[in-house]
Amino acid sequence: MMKKIAVLLLSLSLLATFLTACAQENGAEDQTPANSTSENDTAEDETPGTEEPEEGVDLTILYEADDDMINNYSLLAVNPDAPFVDADGNAVSDVYINTEGAAALINWMLSEEGETTATEYGYADYGEYLFYLSEGAPVSTAEIPQATEETKVIRLSTTTSVNDSGLLGYLLPIFEDTYGYTVEVTSAGTGNAIANAKSGNADLLLVHSKSQEEEFVAGGYSYVLPSFDSERLTFMYNYFVLCGPSADPAGVKNAASVRDAFAAIAEGKYPFVSRGDQSGTHTKEISLWPEELGITVDAASVEDYTDWYTYSNAGMGVCLTMAEETGAYILSDKATFLTFQANNGVME
Amino acid sequence: MKLPPITKTYGNRKVLDLPALELADSTIHTIIGANGSGKSTLARILAGVLKPDDGRFSCMDRVGYMPQRSYPFRMSVLHNLQITGAGRERAMKQLETFGLAGLAHQSAKGLSGGETARLALARILIEDHPLLILDEPTAAMDVAATLLAEKILLEYQARTSCTVVLVTHSLTQARRVAGQVFFLQNGHLVEQGTAEQVLLHPRCADTRAFLDFYAL
Amino acid sequence: MKTAFVQALALITSGDRQLGIILVTTLRMALSSSMIALLLGAPLGVLLGSYAGRGKRTLVVINRTLMGLPPVVVGLVCYMLFSGVGPLRHLRLLYTVTGMVIAQVILLVPLIAGSLESHVSTVAPDIRETALGMGLSRGRILLLIINESQYQLVSAYLLGLGRAFAEVGAVSMVGGAIAYKTNVMTTAIMNYTNMGAFTTALALGIILLAISLVLNAGVALLHWRLEG
Repeated sequence: MMKKIAVLLLSLSLLATFLTACAQENGAEDQTPANSTSENDTAEDETPGTEEPEEGVDLTILYEADDDMINNYSLLAVNPDAPFVDADGNAVSDVYINTEGAAALINWMLSEEGETTATEYGYADYGEYLFYLSEGAPVSTAEIPQATEETKVIRLSTTTSVNDSGLLGYLLPIFEDTYGYTVEVTSAGTGNAIANAKSGNADLLLVHSKSQEEEFVAGGYSYVLPSFDSERLTFMYNYFVLCGPSADPAGVKNAASVRDAFAAIAEGKYPFVSRGDQSGTHTKEISLWPEELGITVDAASVEDYTDWYTYSNAGMGVCLTMAEETGAYILSDKATFLTFQANNGVME
Repeated sequence: MKLPPITKTYGNRKVLDLPALELADSTIHTIIGANGSGKSTLARILAGVLKPDDGRFSCMDRVGYMPQRSYPFRMSVLHNLQITGAGRERAMKQLETFGLAGLAHQSAKGLSGGETARLALARILIEDHPLLILDEPTAAMDVAATLLAEKILLEYQARTSCTVVLVTHSLTQARRVAGQVFFLQNGHLVEQGTAEQVLLHPRCADTRAFLDFYAL
Repeated sequence: MKTAFVQALALITSGDRQLGIILVTTLRMALSSSMIALLLGAPLGVLLGSYAGRGKRTLVVINRTLMGLPPVVVGLVCYMLFSGVGPLRHLRLLYTVTGMVIAQVILLVPLIAGSLESHVSTVAPDIRETALGMGLSRGRILLLIINESQYQLVSAYLLGLGRAFAEVGAVSMVGGAIAYKTNVMTTAIMNYTNMGAFTTALALGIILLAISLVLNAGVALLHWRLEG
């Protein structure tokens, strides 16, 4: 009766409490490997791929390393005195920003150790480098303070492509181990990641969209750190890749430039899958089509091309599967494509 | 006990329309009538769980009321009897009286229809009520249980000299418990009088038709 | 699909540390939110179900509307409240498990209340009439109704628990899917899906289902045991 139900509820709440205690214990010993989403699983994912080569993906990289496909990544510290406004547009003055933590992380990522580590990422897993150091990348020699109770938690807002590449899972534990910080990474499309910072929910940004970054700076949301001379700290880059069926019906492999390749796809109306989600990849893809097609991030602009152009509004992985299954061309960031390839036709 | 005129309307349908009545104290009043004649509605109004149209019916205190669908609470049969505060011994004795002693520690939910009805009657009769309203208490009982229930009810009435309002569709039961009989039809009081008067020498044609139909 | 099952098994047996933390976070969040929602929603549902006066229909309609609240909307509202520029920013609840629990409680309370309300509404009139006839007080009647709704309480709790496990819209917005902190099974599944790691995502889905099965079976067993 009532007593029995009380026993039932009590035992369940005890379980919840117990788990809370467990989680805290875990959290305490767990300064080390924050964010390594794909680090562990890539190793596992590779196994089925190598075992069953006949089921491999047909989608291959057809065109890459064109200057128009460069993808620049920048770090931006969020200005604690930025003109933050709430949802109704009223000024908010007391937004909490961990400026010291953000400065420490930026100084470390732009130190020799940070930059070297970032650029060597990927070779061990994919036999290819995924990020390259930008020419004239700022280098910091600033002293990095140990974390204090107040500066310990650093909120990094980044784009999905960075997060999915596994770079941060490789990079951040080194920083966290040495200096005692915990970096909490949230990822979203570039526009979203920046909006997140504008709402005071991030201490720094790692993004890849020049125009949106400049807008962020112009709005007063970023500031120049003592050891640097600019708000936007562009320090590494990689390439987008144009992928498609290995048979390459549009012949983009031999195109003189990536713009010619896109023109050939549009000309022959070969199927193309677009992210359609206003992400950095989507923005980049828009810029590569012949101008006379008038393709923009707006879905209405591709209404006349629905016979070959798929405006999918989905994540990179989903779009890659779609392209694989429909024999379509697609623009992808290299890291996600390599993960996809390593996963190898996963849905049996 | 004097009753004011009582009406009850649902939407535009008047289910009860009674003149002022007087119920003699310490008497068993049996209400008979077909389904939908307003018997249960009257019982519920008398018990105070339903408001009549004018909403001003002050029922007396300590009325005991057993609804047609008396609910067996989800606990042991014994606990069902103890819920109003009766002691364990008295409750056990009451169960013996109703032939339910063997089921005392079983869940009331597991009882058969007839057992549930006996439990419901045992539960309401464990306390003394100056006014007792029973809505078809024996409808689910077999003949033996019905006769036992009637016997216990008559003893209870004799011991406490309470006023009883018994709603029933059984004419034989109305005859057996005797007392005053009220015949309702379509919410109207057609005839009232002693059991012998109404059941054996009805004055109204409607009553006669009803009795003929049921007596076959 | 076979690969996913194999991988699910491999993931479980490998004692993967990251998976372990995701599991603990998921359980911690879902058990807390469903428990709090039960403690808030059950009395609401019982009161609403046993209440028979004016305005009941309006209240029921409001509650049923809230039962259909899209998780993302709840997530969005909580995000805006807890955000760095939001009115509740000083509580620092964004990207925390506590924040996720709050969002889920908002989702689950109407669900649990509604599920109890519909049950209580059906049994309450008979119980009330019987109990009133025996001269029992209002308080006693309410206790009787709760006692009568035990089975429904358990199933309402399980309904809430299931929803808490499966829900992704609100927790991804409020929690931010931060690895080792607020990443739960559903957000991890979403994350792997977006990365194209479908097998891993499906393996996690299988594990989530398995946990749900174990918990449901556990609660059911406990319930039957207590019922005798």
